This record gives sequence, structure tokens and C-alpha cells, in this order.
Amino acid sequence: MLELVDSTKSFKKVKAVKKLNMFIEKGEIVGLLGPNGAGKSTAISMLSSLMEPTSGDVRYCNKSILKNPAPLRKILGMVPQEIALYEDLTAIENLQFFGRLYRMKGKELQRKIDVILELIGLTDHRKDIVKKFSGGMKRRLNIGVALLHDPEVIIMDEPTVGIDPQSRNYILETVKRLNEERQMTVLYTSHYMEEVEFLCDRIYIMDKGNLIASGTKQEIKQILSAENTISIKADRWNDAFIASIESSPTIHRIKVEEKEITIVVPKEVNMFSELAKMAEQAGLELRSIDINSPTLEDVFLHLTGRALRD
Amino acid sequence: MLWQIIKKQALILLRNPVQILLLLGLPIILITILGTALSNWMDGESIEINVKVAMIEQEDEEKQVNQFISDIESGVIPETAIEMIKETAPQIAPIGILKDSVFKSEELANMIDLHEAKPSEKEELLDDSSFAAVIEVPENFTYDTLQTIMLHEDISPELRVYHNEQQEIGANIVSDILTQFQEQMTFGVFLSEKGIDLDAIQIDTNELPGEVKRINQGNPISSKDYYTIGMAVMNVLFMATAIGWISFHEKATHVFDRVIIANVSKWIYFLGILLSGMIFAFIQLLVLFSFAWIVFDVTWPDLTSFLIVSLFISISVGGLTVLLAAISYRLNSENIIDFFGSVVVSLMAFIGGSFFPIGDSSKLLQTLGDLTPNGAGMSAYLTILRGEGISEVSHHLLYILGFAISSIIIGALSFPKRGASA
Repeated sequence: MLELVDSTKSFKKVKAVKKLNMFIEKGEIVGLLGPNGAGKSTAISMLSSLMEPTSGDVRYCNKSILKNPAPLRKILGMVPQEIALYEDLTAIENLQFFGRLYRMKGKELQRKIDVILELIGLTDHRKDIVKKFSGGMKRRLNIGVALLHDPEVIIMDEPTVGIDPQSRNYILETVKRLNEERQMTVLYTSHYMEEVEFLCDRIYIMDKGNLIASGTKQEIKQILSAENTISIKADRWNDAFIASIESSPTIHRIKVEEKEITIVVPKEVNMFSELAKMAEQAGLELRSIDINSPTLEDVFLHLTGRALRD
Repeated sequence: MLWQIIKKQALILLRNPVQILLLLGLPIILITILGTALSNWMDGESIEINVKVAMIEQEDEEKQVNQFISDIESGVIPETAIEMIKETAPQIAPIGILKDSVFKSEELANMIDLHEAKPSEKEELLDDSSFAAVIEVPENFTYDTLQTIMLHEDISPELRVYHNEQQEIGANIVSDILTQFQEQMTFGVFLSEKGIDLDAIQIDTNELPGEVKRINQGNPISSKDYYTIGMAVMNVLFMATAIGWISFHEKATHVFDRVIIANVSKWIYFLGILLSGMIFAFIQLLVLFSFAWIVFDVTWPDLTSFLIVSLFISISVGGLTVLLAAISYRLNSENIIDFFGSVVVSLMAFIGGSFFPIGDSSKLLQTLGDLTPNGAGMSAYLTILRGEGISEVSHHLLYILGFAISSIIIGALSFPKRGASA
């Protein structure tokens, strides 16, 4: 339905996206993951016709949109990462303005606005100035504006950044419902791995302008099928213990946090006794050692060597 | 579509009290302050001066004149000359002339408050700081003066004048008046000595051929007229920064991306910015001039010409608005708008003559001023206000239009092709 074909985007000498191939089928929710600077926003801008690729193509229903983006724009809704609203206008004034940009008017527009306000839970705040909204309310209106013209495809760029858990759940449930009830196609980017795991059928992982993995959740997780992720917990760490782990040849990757160390090791290696011995020699008391099924976060760590939110 | 963009800009502007204050409140305050404070300088009105002068006579002028006539009669002068002196002497008694024809004249009566005092009050008057000067007429002053004028005796009678140093201006005025009085008396003596009739050298302007023409026959421009125009053409430039800033904010918050994704042509959006700048600038000018009309009675002899000039200025503001918006989009920074608002507007206002008629001091500065849209607009407004026709300002209007078209073209060339690609 919508695809990037060998798309590269360069800014002066920097290649933000390198020969990216990506597609979204009708009715799918596709996740796009990557740390800051991975090239996600550039990819989204190309997909949404805001930016032309330096080379390659962007296609909608097998037709290039580079010369004529109108057919795509007609069925596309965009939720930018920023609050792309007029904060000095009320919720209803914002919806009216953007609705009229889509040539909606009169009773049809009014009916649509009522539906959207109900959907995003802002009916009681329709006449309030957006400036006075909480972060969560602004995010919801940001989504509402993109849904106003009943788009078939919606691109959401980190729509839950900086909001409370309640609003976040509300948004996730809304996206899920839109997909299930209206077969809306969604491209969803997020820093929150659990959001992508909850919502998405397929996932693309980008890093440094490259696509480094893609597939369904299960396919991606199978990347780690030959390895185990071990979580070690303690109240504090000491340098001797960390040095022992880092020098171990059987450990592939390591991530140290305040009270938890995550390591990735080959499945056949039994690390229990070795970890216990290292702790004893370092004079460290461990609270637990757990072997975990791989998560997308583990896959990301495996593929990029860094955490998603780094 | 265009109407929606303009309406939205209007709503945002109206809900920003700081901008409203800058666009309407500030010029009104400045017109009031500058128009009032500089009215004396601009309107050529003199400062109200009231000078208290005391005059002490140590003689009785009438007795002095009679004494002079009596002495003449007892002398050896021919009878016909005595008759002439008897007739003339009372008329040229100097103190009488000084008091009645000078200090109490129509021209000086409002300025000079003459207090005639007795000799016994002299010390008291000298201690009174409210008097700018005390003039003391010594004994025999009139007698000696008549002898000098009529008998050409070599006597130099002198008045004693005590100046109050605390009232420098008033004391100088009195000093100047007495100097002029003395020069006229001396001139009279000279004419008398040479036997010339004073009437013979007086020029009757009524008998001069031709007519007296006024250099400028237009309506005078008051300080309030001047500063209403000066502040209006300066502050209307802030409309360009206000709309430019709103437009850049749309880019920064990705609202512009939403507009583009809604498949609205970027030229519609561009036109929306242009028309917003134009329309709001026109409304701003109307509000400011309406205020000036109601409060300061700044009225236009030809309303149509006024509206045409306002329209042209508004078009140039629209051009500036899209230029600022386009450059800020291109640079992805609002610094250019801030710089224009904080530095360029002040500079243009100064060169354009908004603060004072800088062009009066130099032809070059006048030309430079007219090269700014506000300066050209100001010149056009002033010409219209003086009562001239619209044809007299056509060159200013053409320049303003040219400036606007250039700004629009540069703005269009700088405007980004697509949303996020800027």
C-alpha cells in the first residue's frame, strides 16, 4: 500500500537514511524503532510526502508520489512528535481550522468534530484554550486533528512522549480500536518498547540511517533464539565484579544499570555457577539471577549495542 | 481556504495581549507623548514668558518738559523754533514713550508686566526676586534727553538698569528692549541733526507693486499630525514581525507540515500570510488614525487619498511579512524576525523621519528616508495632509509598490518547496 523503495536522504554530507526499503500493508500496525538519530523522522517525512528522497522512490498503491502526492495526502493522517496545534485557539477552533483545510464544512464538519472530541475524551473541554490543557490532553487533540478527515493511513511519530500513564493507555487503546474497528493502517514510532510490543504486527528497527532488522514480533525475537538474556540484581555493584563480567569471554553483551546488570550469553553456556563465583570473589551479595525470554529491548540491545532510549 | 488562514491569524493575534499592546498601545502612547511634548518645537509656538519690570522715576517728566520749554522761551531761539519745540517736546518725552509705546504696546503688554514705583520703594524692589529688572530714571533725564535731541547738546543721559541674574531670560529681554529703544532714539537724533523728516524714509508697503506670496500655501502640520503619521508608519512594520513570528511558529511546531499534508498548496499558505499582513496592517493604520482623529483632531483633507496611501503601505507590510516568514523558514530560525523587529525597524523609523524630520537637515537624508517604505509612506501622508492631491505622491506610491513586489518575489523564491524539507 505504502512503501519506501531504496530511499536515501542526504543533508549536505550526512546521509540520514541509507537505501531504506519499507512497506506498510492495508490494515497493519507497523512499528518503527530506533534510538535518537536513527533516521526514523526522516523516513516518516519521506513516507508522508513532506520530504523528497535524494534517491529512490516513495510509492502509494504502486504509484510514485514524488510528482503527485495528492492521492496519498487525501488518505493520510499525520501525528507529529511535536504538539502541532495552535495553542492560542480552543480545541474546537483547532479542529475547525484543520477540518476546513480538508474541505470539510457545515454540519458535516460539526458532526465529525463531535465524534472526534468524543473519541479523544475532550468533549467537555471543547471551548478551552489549548494552552491551558495538560500534556496528555494536548497529545490527544494532536491525534484528534489527524483523525478528523477519516484517514486510511495514519503515521504517528512518538505520540505518547511526555505524558502521564493514564493518557498513554488511553492513546494506545484508541489506536488499537481504530485499527480493529476501522481497519486503519498505522505506522507507529516510539521509544517505548512495550508500546510497540502491545500495538504492532510488524516491526522495523533502524540505527544510524540503516534498517537493521524487520519482521513480525516473533521473527524479530528469534534473532535471539541462540542466546539467553540473564538479569542479575544486587543492591549495589563494585568494580571488581563488573571487571570480572566484562572480561568473561562467554558474555556477548552487557548493560549495567543501578541495581541490575543484563548480559547476553550463548544458550548452551551455564552461567549460574560462574556468576556466583565471580560475586563471591568480588565480595558482592547478589539478590537474584534470572534467565529471561528475549524481549524487543534485548533484540535492540543485541543489534545496536545500546538501549533504545540512549 | 484563504479566509480560514486569515481568520486563524487574526484569532491568534487578538489573543496575544503583548502583541496588541505593541501594535496599538505603544504607538498611541508614543503619539500622545511626542505630540504633546514636542508641540512647542514642532508647531513654532513660543514659550509663554512673563517678565516683571519695575520703573522708578526720580523726576516728574511733565515738570521736566515744562522746565525745558520754559528755559527755551527765556533763551535766544527764534519764535518759530520755540513754537515748534513747544509742540514737539511733549511728544518725544522719552519715559512716556518707553512706558506707553514700548512696554505697554500691543506686542509687549502680554509679556511685560510694568510696575511703576516710587523712589522710596527702590531697595524693596531690588530685593524682590520676582522682578527681572528694575529701571531707574535719574533726575533731569528727560530734560537732558530733550536738550540732546532738540538742541543737539553733547550730553549723554543714561537710565540705570538693575538686572536680576536669577531671571536671565527676562533680564536679557528687558536689556534687548532698552537697547532697541536707545537705537531708535539715537536714530531720531541723527535724523533731526541732519534735518531729515522721519516720515520721508518710512516705507509704505501698501504702495509696493506686485503681491506678497506665501512660500507654503498648504495646511500647517502640527506635532500631533506629524507624530501620528510617524508612529503609525513605524509601528505598522511591527505587524510584519508579528505575523512573521506566528508563521515561523507554525513551522517550528510542524503545523505547517499538517497544512501541507492536507494538500493545501504552499502558495495558498504564502498568500494567506501576505494577505494577513496586508489586511491587519491596514486595520492597524485605520485604528491609529481613528484614535488620532478622535483625540487629537488629526483630520484628512481628502479621505480617498489617505486610504490609497494606507493601502499601499499595507501592501508593503504584507510583502515584508512574507519575506520575513520565508527567510525564517529557510534559515529555520526566528532570529531574522527578532533582528528586524529590534534593530531594523528602529533604523528605518529613524531614517524615515518617524522621530523627527531628519530630512529637513539634509537632502541626502531625505532621499535615504524616502527609500524606506515607512519613510516614503510618511512623505506621502504628510503631502496629503497638507492638502496636496494624490498625483503629488504618485512617485512615493510607485516606490512603495515596487518595494512590496520585490519583497514578495524574494519571499516566494526563498519559500521552502515542501514542509519538513525546509
